[in-house]
Amino acid sequence: MLSFIIRRCLTAVPLLLAIALLVFLLMYLAPGDFLTAARADRDTPRELVAQLEREFGLDEPWYVQYALWLGNLWPIGWNENAAHWWNRFEIDMDLGFSWSYKVPVVDLLATRIPATLLLSFTSIVFAWSIAIPLGVLAAIHKDSLFDRISALLAYAALSIPEFFLAVLAVFFAARSGWFPTGGLTSIEYEFLSPVGKFLDIAYHLILPTVVLGASMIAGMMRIMRANFLDYLRAEFVNTARAKGLPEGVVMFKHVLRNAINPLITAFGFAFSSLLSGALLVENIMNYPGLGQLVYDALLKQDQFVVMASVMMGALMLMLGNLLADLLLAWSDPRIRLESAA
Amino acid sequence: MIRMYRSIPLLMAVLVWLTACSPPPELVRPDFPLPEDVLITEAPPGQYGGIMVLSESQEPKHFNPLVRGDAYTSTAISRVLASLTGFDPMTQAVTPELARDWALSEDGLSWIFHLRRGVRWSDGEPFTADDVIFTFDALFDERYPNRYAQQYTIADEPLGYEKIDDHTVRFTTADVYAPFLTDIGYISILPRHKLMDAFEAGTLQEQWTIQTAIDQPAEIVATGPFRVFSYRPGERLVYAPNPHYWRADEARQRLPYVDFLVVRFVASSSTDTVLFATGQTDATGVPVSDVVWVREAGDTYDFTVHDQGLDSSIRFFWFNMNPGTDEAGVPFVEPHKLRWFQDRRFRQAMLYGLNRPGLVRAVYFGRGEPLDSVISPANRKWHNPEVSHYPYNPVRARELLLEAGFSYRDDGRLLGPAGNPVDFELMTSEGSALITAIATTLKENMADLGIEVRLNYMDFAAMISRVSDTYRYEASLMAFTGGGDPSGGKAIYRSDGQLHVWHPNQATPATEWEARVDEIMDLQERTLDEAQRVALVHEMQEILAEQLPLMLLVVPNAYVGIKNRWHNVQVPPMGSIVWNLYELWTDDVER
Repeated sequence: MLSFIIRRCLTAVPLLLAIALLVFLLMYLAPGDFLTAARADRDTPRELVAQLEREFGLDEPWYVQYALWLGNLWPIGWNENAAHWWNRFEIDMDLGFSWSYKVPVVDLLATRIPATLLLSFTSIVFAWSIAIPLGVLAAIHKDSLFDRISALLAYAALSIPEFFLAVLAVFFAARSGWFPTGGLTSIEYEFLSPVGKFLDIAYHLILPTVVLGASMIAGMMRIMRANFLDYLRAEFVNTARAKGLPEGVVMFKHVLRNAINPLITAFGFAFSSLLSGALLVENIMNYPGLGQLVYDALLKQDQFVVMASVMMGALMLMLGNLLADLLLAWSDPRIRLESAA
Repeated sequence: MIRMYRSIPLLMAVLVWLTACSPPPELVRPDFPLPEDVLITEAPPGQYGGIMVLSESQEPKHFNPLVRGDAYTSTAISRVLASLTGFDPMTQAVTPELARDWALSEDGLSWIFHLRRGVRWSDGEPFTADDVIFTFDALFDERYPNRYAQQYTIADEPLGYEKIDDHTVRFTTADVYAPFLTDIGYISILPRHKLMDAFEAGTLQEQWTIQTAIDQPAEIVATGPFRVFSYRPGERLVYAPNPHYWRADEARQRLPYVDFLVVRFVASSSTDTVLFATGQTDATGVPVSDVVWVREAGDTYDFTVHDQGLDSSIRFFWFNMNPGTDEAGVPFVEPHKLRWFQDRRFRQAMLYGLNRPGLVRAVYFGRGEPLDSVISPANRKWHNPEVSHYPYNPVRARELLLEAGFSYRDDGRLLGPAGNPVDFELMTSEGSALITAIATTLKENMADLGIEVRLNYMDFAAMISRVSDTYRYEASLMAFTGGGDPSGGKAIYRSDGQLHVWHPNQATPATEWEARVDEIMDLQERTLDEAQRVALVHEMQEILAEQLPLMLLVVPNAYVGIKNRWHNVQVPPMGSIVWNLYELWTDDVER
């Protein structure tokens, strides 16, 4: 188990470096750089632009920039001034500074991560708590009217792109006035009581959660239904029924337990999208998460912010897959990690 | 189950009530005495209270004037930090802010500034000449690259500054510098008592970031009308009045009147318009294409959309007139085309042949005008209405072309003096419906003159790089924001400027008229007499309108909207309608 985890982490390192290299190269090949706006600005002196170019290292070729970035990222430093030789090693990972905000990228992302995590969390909980019962019901009542309607709705939800659903939701909110048209808190937020603050946030979360959850529900529900049907026909179900187990126990102890595996794998991917998935929806719904920040950084080519967010997305994907594998091993005793790896 | 369903609408109602109807908070205004040199405004006194809600499509990136930021950042900083001088958009005059008054020496080289006595920072520390000296020390420090260091380098000499006493500062310039009072107002004065440690440690540019605004808003001490109250990234920035602000009304009430200023951040500028049109914000600039439908909502939400007249920006197309070659000896522009482009009559014919009144109707629904001077009429003080005009006149265009040695083939195609068919490629940025409409009209109008125009849309960054680095293009189309002192446009007008787009960074002026423009730009900066300066700038506009290095297109009207509940509103000819936020007040505090 432990050696499996360690092996997975070690293989992640070259992969992350390759991703970083690719992103760096793409940013370099894209026309313009962070200072393009300054060059087109009529009252920014060109001496300042040149000065900033040197300061940001933009006058260096891309491989030098990449090496510098990697050098700063390298976690183990050497501190000559430490009192003893054993604490001269320092652990310090530097993801760089944001050029436009002048704060470490880590701090900048940290201001936005809670909001994005919150939204991802609510939408995943929402999706799971609806998709699993619906999928099970649709499988049990296969070919019934309920099954057909749920299939129709699922295909509809799958075929509407998330961003379009977000636009519809904003329109709905603006027209009906039942929901806020965007944001996470209302203007009076600062002056509300703790309970009021909680309710205010909950109220603002309803629409984004539904929008993000809708397509997740549709997909997961269909997977759940198909799997459940597969296992309904399995021989151990017959055995269980023949043993005289109550139908409820057969369904939920035997069939569901087996049928949930692919959803756990899907959870691994959902985990990766926790921080990066809602970029478009966040922008449209004016949600103060990472989406707006990263989008803006991409447009302005604020290099290290883009790098850090891409790296974070990749890392989350890897972590998510690892977590899904571990969860699978835990929920399904037939899976052994040692042999799988 | 059924009971639960029933309770949903109830729950919703409770939620809505809780979030929407909480009473506006009471603001405690400490009763600090007004400073000795308090500035009394002319606007009639109003009453305290109310929340003003504005929206911006971008957030401030930091609160540090020494870091290069965008316009949104400067707006946020200017609400919190005051400068020595200000600018009144109504009278277009320089006004006193932290400086009470000033005097210029006989030789025109040294300025004595008397600071306002008794002014305090929002944390109660006194504001003195040390703060001013500290600010200039910081901006001239090599460790902190910023735009002001070059701005305040006059005649190749950095501005001299010295403290005379706690409330007097002397600035000295190497040469007479007419825009000095305007320029000195660009830099916000920084608090020495807060930032001295960071200055010495070399970390001044990492101070007053958004992190500071989130965690310790009180650290960003203010001399402006407001201080940062709270900041939620991606959502809103809330300002509260600076309890030590140095402006008061005739009733000796300390300004500003509003209890809170809330700036909401929205994803795009169209959301900004929608929020205003649905009564959710108090004031905004309304784009010309949205004026009609926004005005219709004015009765419902009780606001008025004001017409400011023409906008201060300029939009133009131009030909690459750079006669140089690249390192391999290949000319930037094919020599026969360069000959056309360098011919003034060819450029004039372009403008006569372009249906600009039609363009105004097509792209701005008639809400705009063709522009003939490089300084927009919005900039009332400097605009010269008496320059050469180019009304739509294709006949005159053809006459000029024939005069310049061009001729027409039987099929109506225009031939150059050397017999080549006339065509050029117009490079412009992609993604804007307005630019596409303008470029298409241009293409059609030129086709009427027998000229073939090929449109080349490209990424803005790539376009800028061609214009200012590689010089590899034939013609291009762009816009600049305008307004302010003409010295701010030096980079465009002067032949060694980097935004002298048709032929940038010249070592010596290539033509006589460019030499004259350079001369004027130098001369006007050394001319203290306002009327003479205006005359010089008028002459420059005449030269540019005659020579047409930039063929100016059309300029739209600008519109601003504000809710009727605000008093003391003055609509300026350009810029934000809430420029005098400190004296706006409302008797209708319930929104």
